[in-house]
Amino acid sequence: MPTGDYDSKPSWADQVEEETDDVEPLPPPPIPIPIPVPKVDHSNIVLDTPREVINGNIKTITEYKLDEDDKKIKIIRTFKIENRKASKVVARRKNWKKFGNSEYDQPGPNVATTTVSDDVLMTFITSKEDLNCQEEEDPMNKLKGQKIVSCRICKGDHWTTRCPYKDTLGPMQKELADQLGLSTADKERPPGTEPETAQAPVSKTGKYVPPSLRDGGRRQGESMQPNRRADDNATIRVTNLSEDTRETDLQELFRPFGSISRIYLAKDKTTGQSKGFAFISFHRREDAARAIAGVSGFGYDHLILNVEWAKPSTN
Amino acid sequence: MRPILLQGHERAITQIKYNRDGDLLFTVAKDPVVNVWYSVNGERLGTYNGHTGAVWCVDVDWDNRHVLSGSADNSCRLFDCETGKQLALLETNSAVRTCGFDFGGNIIMFSTDKQMGYQCFVSFIDLRDPTQIEDNEPYMKIPCNESKITSAVWGPLGENVITGHENGELNLYSAKSGEIVNTMKEHSKQINDIQSSRDMTMFITASKDCTAKIFDTTSLEHQKTFRTERPVNSAALSPIYDHVVLGGGQEAMDVTTTSTRIGKFEARFFHVAVEEEFGRVKGHFGPINSLAFHPDGKSYSSGGEDGYVRIHYFDQQYFDFEPEF
Repeated sequence: MPTGDYDSKPSWADQVEEETDDVEPLPPPPIPIPIPVPKVDHSNIVLDTPREVINGNIKTITEYKLDEDDKKIKIIRTFKIENRKASKVVARRKNWKKFGNSEYDQPGPNVATTTVSDDVLMTFITSKEDLNCQEEEDPMNKLKGQKIVSCRICKGDHWTTRCPYKDTLGPMQKELADQLGLSTADKERPPGTEPETAQAPVSKTGKYVPPSLRDGGRRQGESMQPNRRADDNATIRVTNLSEDTRETDLQELFRPFGSISRIYLAKDKTTGQSKGFAFISFHRREDAARAIAGVSGFGYDHLILNVEWAKPSTN
Repeated sequence: MRPILLQGHERAITQIKYNRDGDLLFTVAKDPVVNVWYSVNGERLGTYNGHTGAVWCVDVDWDNRHVLSGSADNSCRLFDCETGKQLALLETNSAVRTCGFDFGGNIIMFSTDKQMGYQCFVSFIDLRDPTQIEDNEPYMKIPCNESKITSAVWGPLGENVITGHENGELNLYSAKSGEIVNTMKEHSKQINDIQSSRDMTMFITASKDCTAKIFDTTSLEHQKTFRTERPVNSAALSPIYDHVVLGGGQEAMDVTTTSTRIGKFEARFFHVAVEEEFGRVKGHFGPINSLAFHPDGKSYSSGGEDGYVRIHYFDQQYFDFEPEF
């Protein structure tokens, strides 16, 4: 039972204190005690005079003082004495008498003004780390290498409007598509979305066409609601992600399963670090199902991912 | 490394400076004392008392005879370095922002703030002429009509004074004629600090526009730029390596409104040739207001808004470190 030996043994915290501070029990009160005084009188307690011992190049100063509980505390400070060679003027200056507010200080550093701080290390930044930092700072650079932008005409790594074959290949493909009744880009599109809206920017000269003037714009009452529901159906929830996960990582991870329409990675507002879960919306429900089968239980960054269907939001 | 912490001030440090030999370290803060410390062990040698307001600047001559300090109590005071006795009191109309001895120690320069209806002036006094001190009559007083002076150092051979202004301008004033010999505007904001290299061929400026720049002392030609994300309060050139150290951080008035993590209160070391950062040292709780390299290049000190001065002796690591390019 802890109650039994509690009084006999000091707790570990007390032991530590004793080691560091050398708390000595109060000495028996000095001899002349006429009446026990109710208030503790400090003058009754005789403090030993400070001692200074120099042993080789180690100077030890022992001081005694009273703490708030009127316990006597012994303070031992150890200094290393070093002899250094210095130029004559410097050596002469070292023997200058102290003045101003330090006039009555003892030789050697005064602990009231000079202390030794905690160990600090210089953090070195190698150029390699520096590069990494820069990459993080500019996610667009990272995306460039991953061929996020893919031309619909030549499948190159640029926007369709910038395609060098825009004027040659483009119209040809368009003709072909017109003949076949579907555009090239149509194959990659999920069944739910409208072909015209995506195709519109390619049309004719590649100039920007406001949505209202595009082919799709003529259709009335096409709201986002049904699409959104379709998205929800093909949305998966990924949990147990590591803190360092970025959207691009998720993109890399899930792209093989099919085209992704949206990635939402929950992030901490202040630090920008991942909160450990994300929602991925695929265009097709089959892709989402394959992603669940494929990635669930997958070890990623030392963590085992948990992937499941996202529950449709309540509103 | 284990920095030595000097607790001689009650308020934010404004400037720290080593003497030419590097054995003494002078510190001033926004309190009225001027402290002097032995840099080797952080022992306080003494204080130069007399000022009644924040002390903005301090300087010591090369042979450690005199100490000069300029304060917001509208005075510049000359002390005996060894005894701490005040030798002269030079009263001014507004706060003294910068001061300095020329390399001979005979001529002093100080600049006053544009304040309370008074203009910004750079004054020159020859200490060999006692009447100049007694009558408080500088032999030359240059009015500075434009932006006020926020930092200044003597150029090589005591021929001119380099001043940094509130609008980011640099001017080279001749100490003989008082004319502007050269001018340059590379910074877009206030220049907080100017420190020259040991051989005085170049100097580094620290500016509120988040950069520190190296210039040639005579032509004021811009040589190098070091960029950070925070205002730079102080910058120093290493006397032995092609390194500079930058100190600064968020402005003191914004510190309480943002998290400490993004304060960036570290001292940052840059390589001069490639203008890239290679190391950082943490420690201060607030922005670093002043930095100085020991003349032997083996230690440096920093004084911060937190009121502490820290003397850092470099680890062997620092000397072994070779940045990859």
